[in-house]
This record gives sequence, structure tokens and C-alpha cells, in this order.
Amino acid sequence: MQQQLISKFTRRVAFGLPGGQSLPEDPVAWAMSQLRSVPPIDILERDGTRRADLPADMKLLSDMDEVMHAFVDHQRIEKESFEKAKSLSPREYEAYRERTVGTPYWRLEHWKEVQARETTALFGGAPVFERFWHFWTNHFMVAPGNQNNDTLIGPYQRALRPLMMGSYREMLWQAVTHPSMLVYLDNNRNTGPRSKAAREKWTTDSINENLGRELLELFTISPSAGYTQQDVEGTTLILTGWRDMKPDKWHKGQRLGTYFDFDRHEPGSQTVLGKKYTAFFKPSAKLEDLVTDLANHPATARHLAHKLCVYFIDDDPPAEAVAKVEAAFINSKGDLPTVHQAVIAACWETIETTRKFASPETWFLQVLTLAGAEPPRTIPLTREVRGIKTPYLLGDLGQEIPRCPQPNGWPIRSIDWISKEMLDRRLRVLSVIGGEERRAGRSLDMRVKVSMAARRDLSPESPALPLFKQADMFNDLRLGLVAFFASPDILWS
Amino acid sequence: MQRRTFLLKTAGLATLSFTGIPSTWANDAADTPRVLYVLLRGGMDGLTAAPPIGDRDYDQIRPTIGIQKALRLNADFGLHPALGTLHRLWGEGHLAVVHSTGFGYTGRSHFEGQDVMQTGIMTPYAVNSGWVGRGMERAAINSGVAISIPMPLILRGNTRATTDFPNWMPMLRATDTDAVKKLWANEPLLAPFTDAIQLANDGMQTRGMGKEAFEDAKSMRGLARVAAAQMREDGGPRVGLIDMRNGFDTHASQGAEKGGHADRLRDLDTLVASFKEAMGERWAHSLVVTVTEFGRTAAENGTTGTDHGVGTCCFLAGGLVTESKVYADWRGLEKRALFEERDLPATIDINAVYAKVLERSLALSPTQITSGGVLDFKPHPALNGLFGLG
Repeated sequence: MQQQLISKFTRRVAFGLPGGQSLPEDPVAWAMSQLRSVPPIDILERDGTRRADLPADMKLLSDMDEVMHAFVDHQRIEKESFEKAKSLSPREYEAYRERTVGTPYWRLEHWKEVQARETTALFGGAPVFERFWHFWTNHFMVAPGNQNNDTLIGPYQRALRPLMMGSYREMLWQAVTHPSMLVYLDNNRNTGPRSKAAREKWTTDSINENLGRELLELFTISPSAGYTQQDVEGTTLILTGWRDMKPDKWHKGQRLGTYFDFDRHEPGSQTVLGKKYTAFFKPSAKLEDLVTDLANHPATARHLAHKLCVYFIDDDPPAEAVAKVEAAFINSKGDLPTVHQAVIAACWETIETTRKFASPETWFLQVLTLAGAEPPRTIPLTREVRGIKTPYLLGDLGQEIPRCPQPNGWPIRSIDWISKEMLDRRLRVLSVIGGEERRAGRSLDMRVKVSMAARRDLSPESPALPLFKQADMFNDLRLGLVAFFASPDILWS
Repeated sequence: MQRRTFLLKTAGLATLSFTGIPSTWANDAADTPRVLYVLLRGGMDGLTAAPPIGDRDYDQIRPTIGIQKALRLNADFGLHPALGTLHRLWGEGHLAVVHSTGFGYTGRSHFEGQDVMQTGIMTPYAVNSGWVGRGMERAAINSGVAISIPMPLILRGNTRATTDFPNWMPMLRATDTDAVKKLWANEPLLAPFTDAIQLANDGMQTRGMGKEAFEDAKSMRGLARVAAAQMREDGGPRVGLIDMRNGFDTHASQGAEKGGHADRLRDLDTLVASFKEAMGERWAHSLVVTVTEFGRTAAENGTTGTDHGVGTCCFLAGGLVTESKVYADWRGLEKRALFEERDLPATIDINAVYAKVLERSLALSPTQITSGGVLDFKPHPALNGLFGLG
């Protein structure tokens, strides 16, 4: 019994442990130890080293100058391709678009980031950290959008990793003012109607509430706090002028990345939640103050505690668990390591009576971890490269990372991941994964791992156990995978 | 009705049970309506899809992207030349176009707009159910099918809809699906799907679909066939949904008779043609309805495209349409007639159009639709006579 609870816990806060590996004696200590430092992220081999057969120029950009250059290059190439449309035949144009935009920005860019995300979760040595990172990248969602922001997504998401060691206020500030977020939610167009730029008609841009609304609704106090449209408008005005700075023709030597454009900022003071924000000498400080106030607002602690508990514990989490996480948030002034520890403790305390049906990505990582497999290795250097590509395989399961359809992130409730088509695909993908391992000559290893994991993780009353007792089970890998991974013990964690 | 009271009623919907409510079509008959909803994500440009050829300002505000070779509907409106099938349906008396229509939502955000168009509630992210799903629940109809991997929001709010989408992955064998049935026997959230999964895997194809077959299955033609193959059956789903995920967001170089927007309209036209063909005799009792989050700016922008707007047009095609007609409360394209001097206004609440669709296809009265928390709408006299309803 205790074994099964520990095993469930390892899947709940991470992705389980490979078959054949023994479970930790102290599961809470095992989990906490993985949150003490920030593991590096890269496209990894099984042994944790960087994959060697990648194209020489393929790297994960982090330096802000490089990131903003990549962004502006992408935008320029998109614009040029519209011009090309005039002189090329439709067929030539399609090939041209594919070569200049499709391959580098829609395929390879996302492939390298997704491959890094998945292989680091599997082989980076700190899966608990990765689970929490997945939570934060979902909470502060940035997905491909209207402004050719593809190259901004990975660098932004990876920049959240070290912030998991600090306060929520700091993570909120960095996320909201990151060029990736400012572009994704159109705040780079958010311009005060009484700003200099608007008055002198330098721009036709005006108010854009996207980021203002999400700052209140998704990132901090949430609608349950009862804010009004006036609060959204006040927040939006405070956000006017916060833009991305990129090396284009308007760039005049400023630091690349985030830029506060005084000329687009709405002058004067604004009111949010009854508090007046004024800063005549440093108008950018209004946002600093607002973010601080929102991060420390009790409704934010409540909202985040509840969201973390729904994500990690249950669609309907026990009130005591939420209360403990909320108290940890408030007492530590939003210190994220403290909050993460509270979540882990609450997970363990409630593990017997709660359950989650994991998202497709989390489940995929559980399958690979338990069976000792790895994500498909195909590098989509061109559209014609055959083979299975990890982001699309996740898409086949219903969660094509990073293409989240809405800024509120992928669903966190179990119920949203249960449909006939999504269940059918989870079952069918098992033979795809098994096939990839067989081609790599590792089917025997996989068989051994799955049967050892079944012996370790399934409860004595699991309906999967009789299936495993069938004589031909060991020879029928497909059936073995279905019996193990479709068993309720494993589907729910 | 006030939004707040409406939301309260809607919020309570999930806990109510409607199983006791009689339905006109308790048993599926040959004339039981079938409705295919088509989500056109990105914001369809109504002035390109159904150009107002009779409006004197049209050519002026759209010098590059205006449609010059429209297929004529009447003196005032035409259809984009890529919509040949719809034009033939017009000739047969089976196409209704509602123009200058849209949602009460005017925030011009895709994310919010796509939430609103599915929930039918003008506050984004207010509820987790869709107006079609709630309508199905209210009418207690048997089933619906979304040609999609996840269950789209618009069909949520009932327990009878399912999902189906072409899948390249090798099928499960009988031994596998039998095992799944045993495994999920005591799982109330999973067990209801095992029959459907078994059915979906009950084929000859065990090696997985080839690349070309898969591409064909995912095309508009393929998806329409997948929907029709189920919906035309006796006892099949009365509600279908196809999600056109990309392409209507034409900020730049949207083209006119040819180009990006034209290609998407051709997709829609192909979808309608394939669905009509595959539905066979059921087409006489079928309807294809378009749903898009918003329209686009009336005038073309500086990059020969259009930006996010408000009003657009809605197509209703099929045997359930009793008279070919353009339903519009047209205010013209002069600047002062536009919403905020830039967008085609939504002079007809599109929810009123969708309420008529629910009324005709699910036998729900307008009162049941509003007070039952299905869809709140502002009636418009211009819609009188749609589907032969008052």
C-alpha cells in the first residue's frame, strides 16, 4: 500500500521513476531535494549530456541581444515574403515561404525548445523542478501569436527557471515586462490616449487591454476578487508605453529587450482597486508599485494556492491543502521555494484521497520515464524529413506545445483531458512509442522496465494484474504497454 | 435579461437534469434535423465573403482588396467567386446570408472573441460550457460529434457529445480494446468511452495511415466526410462541428479574387460541397452554420489587409433553409455608419441568428433558449421568416 502511494506521489509531483529503480524511502525529502537549485536545460541524451548530432548552429538563445535580433530577423523575413508574393508563382511562393519562414521559425525553432523541454524533464536529473517549471510556463502563458513572436517564446520560458528560486513578485514583474509577454498580449501597441504619441498623431495605436486584463484575471487577483472594468482600464493605462525594444530602424542605441516609452505612456495618475498610482518624476514606477501591490494582495495568494492545488492535487482540492499553501504564500511573502515545498507537503498529505488525470504532455513524460524510453529523435530540418517529430506527436495527443490556443494556458483540470478522441490517442501512441524503441533495438529493455514498473506500481487489486499473468504477455509488448499505461492506477496519479 | 442573472442561470446548468423534458424528435426520424457548425477562427472578413456590391462606398474604402467579380445574389450583395457551391445553393433556395451581424463583444481580441463565440456569453472566460452544448442538454438530444481532438468549448455542457478526428497512428487490436474494457470497467469517467474507442479501432488498417491518406483525411473534404459519415446515419449525431483553425486572420496581403482569404473561403466551399454530397438524402434536413469571432475593419489597412473588427456575415446553407435571402439591417459603409468609425457594425445580434438555429434544429422555443440558460440574445425583426419561423 505504502509502495503504491509513494509511486503515485512520484508521478504526481514528477513523472514517476523508471521501471527497475526503487522508490524513495522518504518521498517528500526526495522531491524537496530537487527544488534547491536550477538545473541547466538543453537537448539531452539519456545520460544527461547534450545531444551530439544536432546542427552546429542550433542552440537555445538566452542572451537578450541575440534574442531580439532573432525576433527582428523573423519579422523582416515575413515582411519580405509578402513582397515576394508579387513576383513569384503560387508554387514558387509556397516553396520560398517554406524555406525562409516555415522551416526555421515554425518548425525548427519550436522543435528545439520542445525537445529541450522534454529531454530535460526526462534526463536532467530534477523532474520535480521541471513539473513546477511546466506549471509556471503554463501560468504565464506565451504562445505563438500574431506578431511573429516564435523566437521569443523559448527564451522567455527558460528565463522563468531561475525566478523559481525567488519571490512571486519578482517572477510576476519579469514575466509581465518581458518583451515576449509584451508582444504576445499586444502591450507594445498599448498607447495612452493623452500620451504625446497619440496627441501628436505619431501612431494610430490606442488602448489595448489584453495585458492589463490578464494581469488582474490570470496572473494575480482573479475575477473572484471582484474587480471592475475601471480597474482593468486603470491597469491598462499604467501599462501604456511598456514595449519591446528591438534592433529595427527606430532603435537608437537603447538596451534591447524591454523598453518604457515615455511618449506613449498615459500621463497623470491612475486608480486600481481604489489606490491611486502617481509618479510624476518616474512614471515607469507606477507599474512597479502596481505589480508589488498585486503580488502581495491576499486574493493573489488565494488564487495561486487554489490553482497550484488544482494542478497538483485534484480538480476539487481539499480545503485544508489550499489553506496550507495559501498560508505559506502569505507568511513567506510569496517566496516561491517555500510555496513549492508547501505544495509538495500537501500533495503527500492528501495523496491517498485525491487524484489527477494528467495532461497529455505530463502523461507522455510519465510513459517515457516508466518505460525507459525517449522522445522521437527526428530533427525536422526540412518539411520532407520523415519520422515522428515530438511537438506534432504531442499535438496528436491534444497538446501541441507551444501552440496553446488561449492565454489562460492549457487546461489544468482532469476533466478537460478526457474525450473519446484523446483517450483513443493515448492508447494508440503506446505502440508508436514501442515501435520507436524497437527500431532503436531497445525493445527488450523496454519490456523489462515495464514489467518491473508494473510489479512496483500497480496495487494488488489492479485490474491490470490478471492481464500481466497471461502467459504471452511478455512477448506482446503492445498489449503489455496498454495493460500497464491504461490501468487506472497509472492513468490517474 | 441582465447578464448577471443569465450567468447565474447558466452557472447552475451543469447541476440541473433535463432528462425529463420531452423532445419533438425523441426517436430519430428521416427528417430529424442535422446541423454542422463550422468554426472559422481568426475573424472572417464579411465584406470579402459577401461583398456589398450595391454599396457606393465599397470600392472606395477597398481599392486593392475589393471584390470586383462577385457572384451576384441580389442588387445589394454578392458572394466571393470562391464560393461557387454556396452560389448554387442560393439558386436552389437553400442559402441564407445574415450580414452586418456579430457578437455584442467588441474587444477585438482573438482569444476573448473565440471564447465568446463558443460560450455565447459576452464576458470572456465566464463559463466552461458552450451554447450548442447547453442547447443539446436542454433539448436532451442523443449525440453530437466534434471533428476535433479535444472537445471544443462550444459543444461542452452536455454529456452526449463525442470527438473524432483522423488519426495516422496504428489501430488498436481487439486484444488491446478488450483489455481496456476490463481496465476501465469501474471508472465512471472513462468507461463511457470504451465502446466508441472499440468502434473507432474496428478496422482493417493496423499499420497506421500513410502520409498522403492522412493528409487527405485531414483536408476539408476529408473532415466533412468524417462528419457526414456519422450524421447521415439513422440515430447518428444531430450536431456536428468542424474547426477551421487557421487562416482568416488576414492583416496583410489578404488578396481579393485570389489570395489568402480566397483560399480559406474555397476551403469552406469545399467543406459545404463535400458535406452535402456525403449527407445524401439527409441534406434536405441539414444545415451548415458558420461561426467566427468577429469581422474585420471596413476599410483596407496600410498593408492591403484588414484588422480585427466587429460585424461580419454568417452563412446558413442546407435543406433547412426555406428561402434564399440576405437578412441585413444595412447602415452603409460611410465612416459615421461604422462602429467606432472603423468596423462594420453588428446591427443584428448574431446570437439571435443562432437562437433561430437552435429553435429550428432542436425544437427549443425562444423562451426555453433564454430562460433555460442556453443563449441570451436580442431579437431582430429582420430575422423574421428565417427557416420559416416567425
